Amino acid sequence: MPPGSPQILPHVGVPAPPFVSPPSPPSPAPPGPPGPSPVPIGGRAEQAFDPPAGMVWARVSPRLTWHRRIAVLLWALPVTIVGAFVLARTTGLFGGLIWLAVIVVACGMGWIVAELVYRSWGFAERADDLLVTHGFFVKHLVVVPYGRMQYVDVTAGLLEQWLGVATVRLHTAAAATDARIPGLPARDAAVLRDRLAQKGESRSIGL
Amino acid sequence: MHFSRGVHRLHVSTAVISALSVLVIVFVLGGYTLLLGQTADGVEVILTPRSIARFLLIMMPVAAVAAIIGFWTWWSLKFHISGDDLVVETGIVRRRNRRVPLSRIQAVDVVRPLVTRVFGLAEVRVELAGGDQAETRFRYLGRSMAEQLRAELLARAAGLPGHTPEAPEQPYWRVFFGPLLGSQLLKLPVIGGLALLVALLAFGVVFRELGVLAAALPVLLGLARGVVAPLVMHTGFKAALSPDGLRLRYGLMETRMQTVPPGRVQAVRVVEPLLWRGFGWARLDVTVAGYVGDRQVLSSVLLPVAPRRVAFHLVGLVFPGTNAEAVRLLPAPRSWLRSPFGRSAAGTDDAVFVTQRGRLCRRLDVIPHARAQSVRMTSGPLQRLLGLGTVHVDAPPGPVQVAAENRELGEARAIVESAAGRAHRARATDQRTDRWAT
Repeated sequence: MPPGSPQILPHVGVPAPPFVSPPSPPSPAPPGPPGPSPVPIGGRAEQAFDPPAGMVWARVSPRLTWHRRIAVLLWALPVTIVGAFVLARTTGLFGGLIWLAVIVVACGMGWIVAELVYRSWGFAERADDLLVTHGFFVKHLVVVPYGRMQYVDVTAGLLEQWLGVATVRLHTAAAATDARIPGLPARDAAVLRDRLAQKGESRSIGL
Repeated sequence: MHFSRGVHRLHVSTAVISALSVLVIVFVLGGYTLLLGQTADGVEVILTPRSIARFLLIMMPVAAVAAIIGFWTWWSLKFHISGDDLVVETGIVRRRNRRVPLSRIQAVDVVRPLVTRVFGLAEVRVELAGGDQAETRFRYLGRSMAEQLRAELLARAAGLPGHTPEAPEQPYWRVFFGPLLGSQLLKLPVIGGLALLVALLAFGVVFRELGVLAAALPVLLGLARGVVAPLVMHTGFKAALSPDGLRLRYGLMETRMQTVPPGRVQAVRVVEPLLWRGFGWARLDVTVAGYVGDRQVLSSVLLPVAPRRVAFHLVGLVFPGTNAEAVRLLPAPRSWLRSPFGRSAAGTDDAVFVTQRGRLCRRLDVIPHARAQSVRMTSGPLQRLLGLGTVHVDAPPGPVQVAAENRELGEARAIVESAAGRAHRARATDQRTDRWAT
C-alpha cells in the first residue's frame, strides 16, 4: 500500500449508530486467562458485539442502504404486477388492493430494515485478525486470523457497480467462515483487499 | 520402481475395462434390439445364424471403436513425480497438465472395489485441501504399483527420498465383527426401527393384511442403511500407526486403505450413543480437509467402535500434546431455550477447544486452537432476548462442528476473544507439519 493512500473509513458525515457510540468501552474480559482454565466467564451482555478495546468499528458506505432498497424495489415490482393481476382476475378488485397494501407494507419494512442492517455492519483490523460484525435479526461477529485467509476477492454485481460499491470477501478453509464486507466504495474495497492479502501473505501458515 | 523417473501409465487392463464398459453401454442402449425379431407371439430373441451374423456385423465395428477409445483413454493419461510435484497429464487432443504439490497432500487412499479385486487392481486417490475438484484419482493401477505409489507419495511428501522403503507400521486397534454388529444394533433409532418392523409384521400376520408390507418396506430399507451399510463398510476395521501417519484398513465388499499423514486431522468428534455408554463404547469421527461430499461420509470414521479410553487415546495421538478428556467442561447457563436433549457444555485449555452436545447421543467435538480457521459468535432474536449467544470455532467442512451453544452473551464474547488469542499463540508455536519427517 503506498503511503498516504486513503484510509478505509470511518466515513465522514455518517452518524455513528447509537449502539456503538461509546467510543472506547472497557474491555469485556481479559482475553485468554493462562493455564488450563475452563471457559472464561465475564463481560457484559450489552457489550458483546462492541468493537475490541480501544477501537471503533469501521463503517461501510451508506450507499449499502440504497443498494438494498433498490434491490427490494426491483423484487417487489414484478411480484406486485403479477400478483395483483392474478388476484384481480380471481377475486376481483378487492383482492388486488389487499395485495397492493401487503406489498407496500413489506416494502416499507424492507426500507427500514435496510437502514438498520446497514448500521449493523462494521469491521476492525487488529494486529493479527480481522473482526467483522453484522446482522440485525441474527447478530454475527466473526474473527478471522490473517494467517488463515486463503484468498480475498472483491465482487460487485450490476447494481453495486452502478452505485460504485463492492463486496470484499475473505475465504478460509472453513466454509462456515462467512466474512464479507459489502458496500465498500469500490476504491476502498480494492485497497482493503490488497492490504488484507498482504497481511495474509506475511502470516500465512498453510492449513 | 521410481515414479520420478520415466512416465507411468495406469494398468493396461483399464483399457480393456473401459472398452468393455463402452460395449456394454452400446449393447444396453440399442445393440440388443438386433437380436430381437417379430414372431407370431410378439417380440422375441431370435438366435438364427442370420440374426447373429447381422448382430456381429454391426457390433464388430462398435467393438473396434470401443477398443480404440479404451486404448486412447489409457494411453492419454500419464503421470510422474517431478521434484516436489505429482504431475498428471491427460488428453491427447486437448492436453491438460495438473501439478499437485506433494506438501499439500491431505490423505492418500487405496480403494479396491469388489470387481477390481478379482483382477488385482486398485484405485489410488490423492486428496488435497480445497473442494470437490481437488482430488486426483488413478483408476486403476496394479495392486503392487498402487501400494508403491502410495508409499512414494507419502515418503516424498514427508521430505524423504522416494526410494525410502515403506514406513513400518504398528497395529493400534482392531474392531472385531461381534462388537461392530452389537454397536450397530445398540442404537435407539435402530431398536425403534426393529420394534416397529416386528410390530408391523405381527399386525400383518394376525390380521392377514398384506398392506403392512408397504409400510414395512421403508422401515426395512432404513434399517439396511443404518445397520447393514456401516457393517459392510467397516468389517475388518484395523487401525495402525506409522511414521507416515494413521493407516486404516476396512471394508467387506470394497476394501480401503486410508493413510492420514500427521497433522492432517483438523478436528475430531467422539460420539457416544445412549446405549453405548453402558459398555463404555465410543465412535471417533474426524474432519480431514479434502474429504468433501460423498467421500466425507465414507472416510470420516477413525474408529467405528472402541472403548472410550481408546478413542481418547487416539485423539491424543492425532493431536499430540493435548488431552481432550481432561478439559473441564462448563455447562451453558440454565434457560428455557436449551434443547430438550440436554444442556450443551464447553471448555478449553491452551491446546484444544472442546464442546459437548446432546444427552441421548452425546457428542464431544474437539478442535486444537492451532487448527481453528475462524471464531464466530451468533445470536438470534430469541437468544438475544435471553442474553445468549453461540460461539463457533470453525473447522474445514466435515462432520465436526465445534459450537458452544447458548452461552451468556458477555461470556460468549470473552470466549471469542480468548479463543482467538489462544489460536494466535498456538499457531505461533505450532511446528509446521508440511514436511513431517524432516
